[in-house]
Amino acid sequence: MRPMTPKILFSLVFLGTIAILALIIPFLPFDPNGMDPYLIGSPEAPSLSHWFGTDDLGRDLLLRSIYGARISLMVGLVSVSISLSIGVFIGLISGFIGGTIDMAIMRTIDVLMALPTLFLILMVQVTLEPSIFNVMVVIGVTSWMGTARIVRAEVLSFKERPFITACRARGLSEQKVLFKHILPHTLNPVIVAAMLGMGGAILVESVLSFLGLGVQPPNASWGNMLENSLGFLRDAPWMALIPGILITLTVLSLNFLGDGLWLLLDPKAKEKYAKHT
Amino acid sequence: MKYFIYRLASAIPLIFGVCFLSFLIMQLAPGDPTLMYMDPSVSMEDLAQVKQNLGLDQPLLIQFFYWLKELFRGNLGYSYVTGKPVLQAIFERLPATLLLSISSLVIILLITFPLGIICGYKKDTWIDDSITIFSFLGLSIPTFWLGLIFILFFSIQLNIFPTSGFLDPLLYNASFFDKACNILKHMFLPLLTIIIGGIAGLIRYNRFSMIKILAQDFITSARARGLSEKRILFKHALKNALLPIITILGLDLPSLISGSFIIEYIFSWPGMGQLGVQAVFQRDYPILMATILFSSFLIIIGNFLADLSYAYADPRISKASNETHDT
Repeated sequence: MRPMTPKILFSLVFLGTIAILALIIPFLPFDPNGMDPYLIGSPEAPSLSHWFGTDDLGRDLLLRSIYGARISLMVGLVSVSISLSIGVFIGLISGFIGGTIDMAIMRTIDVLMALPTLFLILMVQVTLEPSIFNVMVVIGVTSWMGTARIVRAEVLSFKERPFITACRARGLSEQKVLFKHILPHTLNPVIVAAMLGMGGAILVESVLSFLGLGVQPPNASWGNMLENSLGFLRDAPWMALIPGILITLTVLSLNFLGDGLWLLLDPKAKEKYAKHT
Repeated sequence: MKYFIYRLASAIPLIFGVCFLSFLIMQLAPGDPTLMYMDPSVSMEDLAQVKQNLGLDQPLLIQFFYWLKELFRGNLGYSYVTGKPVLQAIFERLPATLLLSISSLVIILLITFPLGIICGYKKDTWIDDSITIFSFLGLSIPTFWLGLIFILFFSIQLNIFPTSGFLDPLLYNASFFDKACNILKHMFLPLLTIIIGGIAGLIRYNRFSMIKILAQDFITSARARGLSEKRILFKHALKNALLPIITILGLDLPSLISGSFIIEYIFSWPGMGQLGVQAVFQRDYPILMATILFSSFLIIIGNFLADLSYAYADPRISKASNETHDT
């Protein structure tokens, strides 16, 4: 396999920078809602004093973007943790127990996967109070099905292996076999799914906030910065361009990492690659 | 034929499940239908009577079967906002949605197939790398934002394409050809947005399936027999690489359909997606539920067709599942 280092390097550097900035920004003496009274009503293009320009209320877009990164990364991490916990648990149970329970779970997943998730999320958001917390929970709860399927398939492929039979022969309890000996083997594809899932969650958050159903102003999020830019598309295009580029680069980095990790963690994929070259 | 029946039989519980879930969602939605009958003079006893008349005092499961019966008769209730029958509202929107989604699906297939094959065949060359990076970019761009940028660039700056809508109101009485041209013009930007967002996954899968095929023994043996590369590629590899893509297409459908809904909203394309997003804001639950229901139907039908064509292309599939089914 030819290492994809430039892509992975780019992703690590980009995500690392954003994460560090997002972590330290609250400790720095900057206010993301601070307005420049001279610039209210007339957004200023990117310049030396405002690298990313300002918005219609004279707020510095660089600062708001970094605060938006906090939201996006947090939404990604938390909702993926939720969806992975559910997905791994259900996948393990379904694959390990098998039989009718497995059948019931898999058919339920089929039904859930046929539903347009975005509408479910939108519906929950208008019904409940739209907030960051709700966004994370709703995304997590509606996106575990893929993980569950992957984990189940992994469990099935390991369940009948000799080393598992050996564990049973040694008299280990079923829980111990499942959680100590099968679970670790299923984690590789889960890590990859986590990367891709984080990207997906960040995209969904941006759609929700863009529609005004996610993070509420004055809190900055990349999605609501985009919503805010709608009235100024002609006069201040940077207000729309910057958050969108940030979302794209973040999700792109996560996808690159997921793809790279997949090749790194799955020796079989590597083999397939090696064979052809 | 046996496979067809088997596959159809397994789609029915799925449709049933989707119906039940939609019904549950509707139940969980806030607000009580009887509130519409409420005025301060109505006593609690009368209200209970109204509930009984409407069958709302029955257990949930019984209510579900009543609801299902009405669904079969084409009665999905009435919009809270316009008072129009829900089914009529959906059917008014269905053609625009189908036009957009089917044409994007066809174009996506036409684009991704050759690109994926090239990537897989020219693995790890600059062609592969640039197509891969481009497709990853398409996967990562928020499509609604891309739509905005297209509006900004093509409609506002260059003024080539209309910003939104379906058909110029001035053209309602124009000839068929003029109308079609105008619709195509309106369709171009939303279509482009959906395509850029949708090609990434399929290119990746095509590429991978091509690489897998090319690594197999029968290709090596074809090479050893001295067949030309062209012949190996077109006669041996292509046929086998085509198969998995059909299933992947089925798996991609939900995200494609959900994704195009937001695009419809951005471009004011008068389809089901726009209807649904508007219903969200107006809290028009009957419409919203019907949108969810119908898009699920679209997804299930799409998957069904994908599976059928897969079985048609590869007879082993239907045979295998028939055997497992029989035993």
